[in-house]
Amino acid sequence: MTFNMDSIAKKLWLTITAAIVVTIIYSYFLSYLFYEKLYVENVEENLLEEGHRLAAEYEGGPLTDELKDRIDWYSSKSETEIFIVSNPRELSACLPFDIDYETLISGTEREKLLKGKPVQKIGYEERFDRKIMAVVIPLLDENRLEGIIYLYIPLAKISEVMTDFAYLWMIAGILFLVIAIFTGTMLVRKLTKPLIDMKDAAEKVSLGDYSVKITNDSMDEIGQLAQAFNHMASSIQKEDERKKEFLANVSHELRTPISYIKGYSDALHTGIIKEEDQSKYLSLIHREAGRMERLVGDLLDLSKLDSNEFKIEKTPLPLGQLIEDSVQKYILKMREKEIEFNYEVDPDIIINGDAGRIEQVLQNILDNSIRYTDKGRITLKMFKTYSGCSIEITDTGVGIPAEDMDKIKQRFFRVNRARTRKDGGTGLGLAIAEKLISLHGGTLNIDSQLGKGTMVQINLPVLDI
Amino acid sequence: MMRSLLKVVIFLVAVFFLSSCSNKGYPPIQEDRSIAATVNIKDKSLSFIDLDKMEKMLDWEMDKPYTGAIIFPDGDTILLYGKQVETVDLYSLKRGQKIDSWKTGKGIVNGKLLQVGSEIALVDQDLNKIRFFNLEGEELWKVSTELNPLTILEAEKEKKLFVLSFNKEQLTVIDLVKKEKMAGYPIHPSAAGAWLNEEKGEIWIGGHGTGAEIERDIHVYDSISGNFKRKIPAPSMPINFIGNHNHVFVLSHGTSKLYQLDEDGNVLGSIVVGANPFEMLLVDNQLIIAGYDSNDLHIVDSENLKIIKTISVGNGPFQIVVRER
Repeated sequence: MTFNMDSIAKKLWLTITAAIVVTIIYSYFLSYLFYEKLYVENVEENLLEEGHRLAAEYEGGPLTDELKDRIDWYSSKSETEIFIVSNPRELSACLPFDIDYETLISGTEREKLLKGKPVQKIGYEERFDRKIMAVVIPLLDENRLEGIIYLYIPLAKISEVMTDFAYLWMIAGILFLVIAIFTGTMLVRKLTKPLIDMKDAAEKVSLGDYSVKITNDSMDEIGQLAQAFNHMASSIQKEDERKKEFLANVSHELRTPISYIKGYSDALHTGIIKEEDQSKYLSLIHREAGRMERLVGDLLDLSKLDSNEFKIEKTPLPLGQLIEDSVQKYILKMREKEIEFNYEVDPDIIINGDAGRIEQVLQNILDNSIRYTDKGRITLKMFKTYSGCSIEITDTGVGIPAEDMDKIKQRFFRVNRARTRKDGGTGLGLAIAEKLISLHGGTLNIDSQLGKGTMVQINLPVLDI
Repeated sequence: MMRSLLKVVIFLVAVFFLSSCSNKGYPPIQEDRSIAATVNIKDKSLSFIDLDKMEKMLDWEMDKPYTGAIIFPDGDTILLYGKQVETVDLYSLKRGQKIDSWKTGKGIVNGKLLQVGSEIALVDQDLNKIRFFNLEGEELWKVSTELNPLTILEAEKEKKLFVLSFNKEQLTVIDLVKKEKMAGYPIHPSAAGAWLNEEKGEIWIGGHGTGAEIERDIHVYDSISGNFKRKIPAPSMPINFIGNHNHVFVLSHGTSKLYQLDEDGNVLGSIVVGANPFEMLLVDNQLIIAGYDSNDLHIVDSENLKIIKTISVGNGPFQIVVRER
């Protein structure tokens, strides 16, 4: 398993390994301590018991040779080194005289023995020139310390047991360490694999490949992150597609008038057009230039709306009056298309808005209605509602297919893409209208049935006076 | 502010030290009583026993590790010494207060009021000397001995002082009249305790033994020539002797045994008394024996060796002094 220095996998791996190693070492020392304590305590207890059993043989008075022989015999059979001492010099009986002799029993130990209590010692004993664990049992006749039974075992015996234990522990520890590190490594790999996948996926996305998908079925944080990543990637992909489509639309929309203008002006320039037709061609060039102007104007508006640079200047506005003024210029056009137009407005409604922009919205919607209605009827109603006011423009035109309803407000979307651009729509009207209405704090909804007509509803807040 | 606080602290510290240094009062001992006092090593105390009632009167808890005492001829002044104590301290029994302190330095392990010249002989193991003082605390003269002198024995008739050294197998003899060292003679090792039979010209010397070997015998030497005469078995560790009417009482601490011997060394009787007894005194035909391990005092009838009474004292009674009224 190779890591680079900063990888999270390495950090995790190191953390897990360190935790395992520390745990093993700690538990080793802890159990060593307990084991030693228990074992040593057990040995000490056995020595004490053995000593007391032997001391029970003593029946008072000076120590007899028989007792000494019996203890010697026992000692020869026992694993414990046992001897009996009656020499008062060894028992520190002459202590106050400052005797220059290394006694077997110290003064404080003698005091303890005199009280009938056994003495336990563990450590280096000069007399035996080695480390021992010893128990000394007093042999008291009334309050006279007639002798002692001294039982000891060399500590080396205890350490041998400890060494065996340590080897066992070491083998078990290393085995556990190997297994734990192996499983730890697997775990780290499993944990960090989605992260590495994500990193690779992000690199692909940054190179423009938005089709990458991370497969992670887990529901934990990493799984959620993978899902979020997939969602982000698909969002970027959609946005990218939309951008491409937008650019394609813009160039396509521009190319048509430009090719008209280029074609007609070439024809004029080369003089293949008769003089009496020249003014007709010029007006065609003028019309296409006007269309381009509108298109560029709309694009500029949209760009401003997108970047929040668009300024609307709100003033109190009688909406009824504004609608009446706006619809006047369409009356003639509708008559030409044999459209019956009815409108009904509440003259008392006043809104806080930008008159020019509201008019632009009405124009865009009415343009669409007229464009898609032949010999039908257009109705405009403006009335007060619970939360403000509502403008409803209903036509009996071609309507919009249900599957296109959610795209209708997108830029350059046309229900019928093959439709000629003879009537000059830019395909941006509804997108601009919706933005403007939302800047006024209102909403724009479209409801339509294919073949029956379309209803556009604009809801705006009113100014309460 | 700080300075006045400092003054208060200094004052309190001074009060503390002065009060701890001041003469501590002890319960007084009535002048008209016959008493025995034990110097207890393990709990640094003195126990006073009323010899008539045969019961303990009271204890003095001392603040220095005294190991021995001498009662002055006035019957009131008790002199206390110890190997680790810088001074020899004198207390009045009836007042229960320290009355004097002699600057002897450390190392005093034994002391004796000599019959000759009413002097006090102090055994100094730091200087390896016997130092002679008058009762006022003036050091009159001193004599060098072998290493670690311990037991001293006064020959009243010959006006000599025998000194046993613990580490040197050599007996030192001091002429108390000429105040000089005489020729000594070699003895057995680790000698301790002695009895002088001036009539027979014998000195009986006991001991603890060397190394792991226990001393089992009393060694008898010619007190003048120092010639070894014989051994008297008295197991084990005979270290205290009292001669009385052709009898010798010998105390062997190794077996806690009291022997009654005749002057030839024949055992007349023996009993086990106390635990690890070191000290023995004879008062009115009664032996007073202190059990160092049993922390008690035994009063033994010197005629029939019967224990008359056992009295508990402080821990580790190491020496007994007596005042008779």
